[in-house]
Amino acid sequence: MEVKNLNKIYGEGDTAVHAVRDVSFSVKKGELLLIVGSSGSGKSTLLNMIGLLDRPTNGKILIDGSDTTNLKDSDLSSFRNSKLGFVFQFSNLLSDLTVLENVLLPRKIQQSYDTAIADATKLLRTVGLEKEIHKRANKISGGQAQRVAIARALINKPSIVLADEPTGNLDSINAETIVQLMKSMAEKLGQTFIIVTHERDQFGRVDRIITIKDGRAFEGEEPRRMEVTV
Amino acid sequence: MDYRAQLAMRMLMNKKGSLIGAVLAVSIGILVIHVNFVIFQGLYDAIVRDMKAYRFGDVYVTNEDDYIDKSAIALVNWFERIPYVEAATPRLDSSAAINATKFGKRHEEFRVPVVGVDPFRDIQASTIYTTVGDGQFVFSRNSIVLGSTIARDLGGLQVGDNVELKFVDRSGQNQIKRFIVSGITTSAGGQGFDFSVIVHIDTLRSILDRTDETGAIIVKLNDPTKATEIKDLFLRSFPSDDFKAETIEESAESALRGFRSGIALINLIGYFGMTSSAFAIVTIQMMIVSSKTREIGVMRAIGAKRKDILLLFIFQGIIIGVIGATVGTALGLVYTAYAKETKLEFEGSLALEVTYNWSKIAQTALTSFALAIAASIYPAYRATKLQPIEAMRTV
Repeated sequence: MEVKNLNKIYGEGDTAVHAVRDVSFSVKKGELLLIVGSSGSGKSTLLNMIGLLDRPTNGKILIDGSDTTNLKDSDLSSFRNSKLGFVFQFSNLLSDLTVLENVLLPRKIQQSYDTAIADATKLLRTVGLEKEIHKRANKISGGQAQRVAIARALINKPSIVLADEPTGNLDSINAETIVQLMKSMAEKLGQTFIIVTHERDQFGRVDRIITIKDGRAFEGEEPRRMEVTV
Repeated sequence: MDYRAQLAMRMLMNKKGSLIGAVLAVSIGILVIHVNFVIFQGLYDAIVRDMKAYRFGDVYVTNEDDYIDKSAIALVNWFERIPYVEAATPRLDSSAAINATKFGKRHEEFRVPVVGVDPFRDIQASTIYTTVGDGQFVFSRNSIVLGSTIARDLGGLQVGDNVELKFVDRSGQNQIKRFIVSGITTSAGGQGFDFSVIVHIDTLRSILDRTDETGAIIVKLNDPTKATEIKDLFLRSFPSDDFKAETIEESAESALRGFRSGIALINLIGYFGMTSSAFAIVTIQMMIVSSKTREIGVMRAIGAKRKDILLLFIFQGIIIGVIGATVGTALGLVYTAYAKETKLEFEGSLALEVTYNWSKIAQTALTSFALAIAASIYPAYRATKLQPIEAMRTV
């Protein structure tokens, strides 16, 4: 993934808010990138744009070499479905579906049914929820729900998994479980993770850190201007 | 099963209140149409049934302008040679002023319709004789059967009492004739001759000085589907006699045109009712969309297109339509079965002629099904307009 001169401005004129300012960086395959910053610094706005959930005011986002800037809404949906996985602060499972059905949902949206159930079951086994697959999503704990969300994010073998405060709603034990799970997925599967968090300490040693302050991106934990290196 | 259909079903099943509300809206819409149909079409068919049984038969023959001057016996015999004809009988209509004295009190004159019948033929071609509750039919020349309303208005006349009728004959002369009441006729809903009097046709011909003249020939068929064929055959056989022949459908059509317009209006009101149930579905679906905003946002985030969201809520409309149409039609059929069994006849009211009109039943079910789907389009469209980021902020 490559992000070039990304800007996001809300409103116009005197009331305009520059939420993201001229951010550029790239992410290598298999990298676990942490985006940290205080509340309101613009890190979630940045993640939403990277996740193609929100359009930048200007700048470019390239995923697997494809420019996503001018894609139509339906193409963005297809792109999100096939190239990106999402883990939200609140697991955001569909309460009407079972654990297994939630994991299968991105694959069903893709209308690719071959090996879907086997893949979903394997992922649920990996996250330690093989016994819960037929439970309704609203009948499992918050930590379990977040593990289901990780399995759902991985079912379509995306290029990048984007996680927005994935431990923000969990107690310390469950948070630790989720962090270790994502790190092991990154190591074992070579899966790229971009994780937004303000709980930097929970993640320990990671491949890279970007700090967002007042909408600007800085390499590392100290606020110095980031120069992009690929 | 398509995942959108499966999800639509799950969402509805987990919102039982909304599902029941929407299904009830569709079902009640259908039930209203069924109730309207059973009552008003049943009433119409009952009136037609009684018109056929008492007044018109399956084929009703008159003269275009005047009385029939051809021999009634000859015409009746002509009809009765046809295998499809069960019986035929002549009738002659007139009117007279009637009065009676009961317990020394004279009841003033008022005009009544007078129907002349051939009693021995009439009982084969018509069932009006079955409405004579007290006494008997007009088998003797000086007997009269009074409609129950006439008998009551004349001070409660009974069988054996005398009445006096004043006619005006063909030359304009008053003719007064006294009769002995041989019977009182009363019919459910007053569809018989409750407001008329019945006399022997030969007596009436004699009084009116219209010997060998007839007002109408009533023809009863053993196969009513042959009515048009018999009518056409009759008109072809007597091309120069100025005869007019009508099937019961034609007679009823002209007699009940206003009633038919009323039925159409009632049906229209029923369909308006069904349309208002569609508005109820729109409201319920909008509530479901509102309560599922976060889920819609999540689905959009993980790759569902606007089309998928649209289909999801249209599937909900289809599910509501299928269940609602099935439940509504079942309720309607139960009501129709009850109405057919009881004829909705209470205290001497007209017994309804209830039928299962399968094409109407299917049309009603399909219309409500289509309306349920149409009603889900706007909420579905609104759901597609939700932006994933905004939608997911909803908790």
